[in-house]
Amino acid sequence: MRPILMKGHERPLTFLKYNRDGDLLFSCAKDHNPTVWFADNGERLGTYRGHNGAVWTCDVSRDSVRLITGSADQTAKLWDVQSGLQLYTFNFDSPARSVDFSVGDRLAVITTDPFMELSSAIHVKRIADDPTEQSGESLLLIKGPLGRINRAIWGPLNSTIISAGEDAVIRIWDSETGKLLKESDKESGHKKTVTSLAKSADGSHFLTGSLDKSARLWDTRSLTLIKTYVTERPVNAVTMSPLLDHVVIGGGQDASAVTTTDHRAGKFEAKFFDKILQEEIGGVKGHFGPINALAFNPDGKSFSSGGEDGYVRLHHFDPDYFNIKI
Amino acid sequence: MAGLAPEGTQFDGRQYDAKMSELLSTDGQEFFTSYDEVYDSFDAMGLQENLLRGIYAYGFERPSAIQQRGIVPFCKGLDVIQQAQSGTGKTATFCSGILQQLDYGLVQCQALVLAPTRELAQQIEKVMRALGDYLGVKVHACVGGTSVREDQRILQAGVHTVVGTPGRVFDMLRRQSLRPDCIKMFVLDEADEMLSRGFKDQIYDIFQLLPSKIQVGVFSATMPPEALEITRKFMNKPVRILVKRDELTLEGIKQFYVNVDKEEWKLETLCDLYETLAITQSVIFVNTRRKVDWLTDKMRSNDHTVSATHGDMDQNTRDIIMREFRSGSSRVLITTDLLARGIDVQQVSLVINYDLPTQPENYLHRIGRSGRFGRKGVSINFVTTDDARMLSDIQKFYNVTVEELPSNVADLL
Repeated sequence: MRPILMKGHERPLTFLKYNRDGDLLFSCAKDHNPTVWFADNGERLGTYRGHNGAVWTCDVSRDSVRLITGSADQTAKLWDVQSGLQLYTFNFDSPARSVDFSVGDRLAVITTDPFMELSSAIHVKRIADDPTEQSGESLLLIKGPLGRINRAIWGPLNSTIISAGEDAVIRIWDSETGKLLKESDKESGHKKTVTSLAKSADGSHFLTGSLDKSARLWDTRSLTLIKTYVTERPVNAVTMSPLLDHVVIGGGQDASAVTTTDHRAGKFEAKFFDKILQEEIGGVKGHFGPINALAFNPDGKSFSSGGEDGYVRLHHFDPDYFNIKI
Repeated sequence: MAGLAPEGTQFDGRQYDAKMSELLSTDGQEFFTSYDEVYDSFDAMGLQENLLRGIYAYGFERPSAIQQRGIVPFCKGLDVIQQAQSGTGKTATFCSGILQQLDYGLVQCQALVLAPTRELAQQIEKVMRALGDYLGVKVHACVGGTSVREDQRILQAGVHTVVGTPGRVFDMLRRQSLRPDCIKMFVLDEADEMLSRGFKDQIYDIFQLLPSKIQVGVFSATMPPEALEITRKFMNKPVRILVKRDELTLEGIKQFYVNVDKEEWKLETLCDLYETLAITQSVIFVNTRRKVDWLTDKMRSNDHTVSATHGDMDQNTRDIIMREFRSGSSRVLITTDLLARGIDVQQVSLVINYDLPTQPENYLHRIGRSGRFGRKGVSINFVTTDDARMLSDIQKFYNVTVEELPSNVADLL
């Protein structure tokens, strides 16, 4: 497969997200301006201008009408996907980190970073159908554990929220009461910062990536560890194929160490593992900086990677990929 | 001794080390201040809240090595000499140090940053503005080639910080559009260049106009003993962070050479490499402005798309070319050492030394245009028979290995 190189960001990539139909790809970077691309040919469709800081994550509604972005400028913003207009700004007292629409798109979970004496937090906001009636009020506020909460997503039936972050612990919260329901233990779970999280297509399980050089697969309801994928590099991004039992892991050595260590030490390839057998089945090279973002097209026929090098690389699979034997 | 560079040449490592030892010896100890603390998070540095907000909004999460050691002593008002490898966070270090100490209620110039090129001054101004956004900093890039009247208008309206090139800054001081009365911080970026023959007199003239009680910061990836010697004259017991010459090279930048034998064959070699060059973004360095024009014409005659910039071009054109290169509209840029220092373009992953540099420090600076923070890089040196000796000297001096270019260079990018 010959990748399509997408050039549009002037600073490192942070996040990638396909819409449900798989025809649009949204990218976020440290350069303030999320971008939307045609997912088939990598053509740039437009940018969303308004943030005043690095943009860490985004999510798009099921009908591809609304985009939500979380930014280090201490805001999360709602946008109209088609026109690029800002619809609403949620203001916080510290950088916004992770954003996720609920099933049905009526709610959003937003995490904020710790800042000076402020602890990290998980906020639940109601998303109004009519943007003119949008309110910034929180339905729920959960004061966080130690460190940044890098990812928070909705659990099944929107009844729970799953969070993970710098303290390496994965937690399941009741989304109505804010009560902590389950916690991963450090013995069987991650040992270092959890950087990334990807839900399976049916939501029954999810994958987490960590600086401890592993990715782990968890049951969404019971928080049981199902599988572990071991690599030789810190993991910054994870994703799963919706068609095949494959997981993809990306990362590389810490960005601050890249230029002062040998060229071969980077380990910037995206690695494919068999989800069941936990064996590595291949890798995709190309980035010259750590991979910070990975996403699978919902149709399962392509995936994208975003790196510290500022590039988004779009990979359409060869037919051979669908016939891999182990 | 046959293998050593001749004594007294610019690549004489023993002489360099001897001079450095002398400066840092017992006598030198009285000149410097010790400051050994390391801060592994921005929160721990005692920075004001709105500066922290700006740092996090910029996308920083953890301080780099130079930032861990360098921000706090500068914030405390100490003179500092800070050396660190290319692309490891020096600009954010002095920008944070300045922003921490400004009095935002006083709209007068309180800090002056000097850089050797207009492009670099504009880049620093952009970082300063971004980090200082929540503080409401007013920062102005005061560089040659732009409207004098506009500069005067902005300076007279009041700014907290000026980032400029020496010629224009001196002109503004002389015309009293920029008043030095409140300036309490003075930063030289790419300090060894600023203190070299070309700029030294201008720096001296500017320094004479500044208040006698002033904090001085000097920053560069290269800090030869000659530059360090000059700092004695105007710095007060600085805190120093220095890197040994054989540790300056970034291992993340893979270095290669191509034996082209004759000068005339460089062009053909470059055309052969062109397809590889355009995969990401590349900078090609030559030694003279005339040669930039010549090489640009030749490449375009061979149907290769390139852009070019050098010091003789008018400022508007230089600005357009930099903007196009930064955004990725153009992929291959031919230039002189005008862009050897400081310039940070996200997707540059290849540097070609079409000519080897005449100054040893510029070798490190040139290849440091790729291999920026978080990204590996590749550099390729075109070596003629006459150049072989110089390349050998560079390898010994900086303790690097420059290998012959493999045929699969595209795989390295």
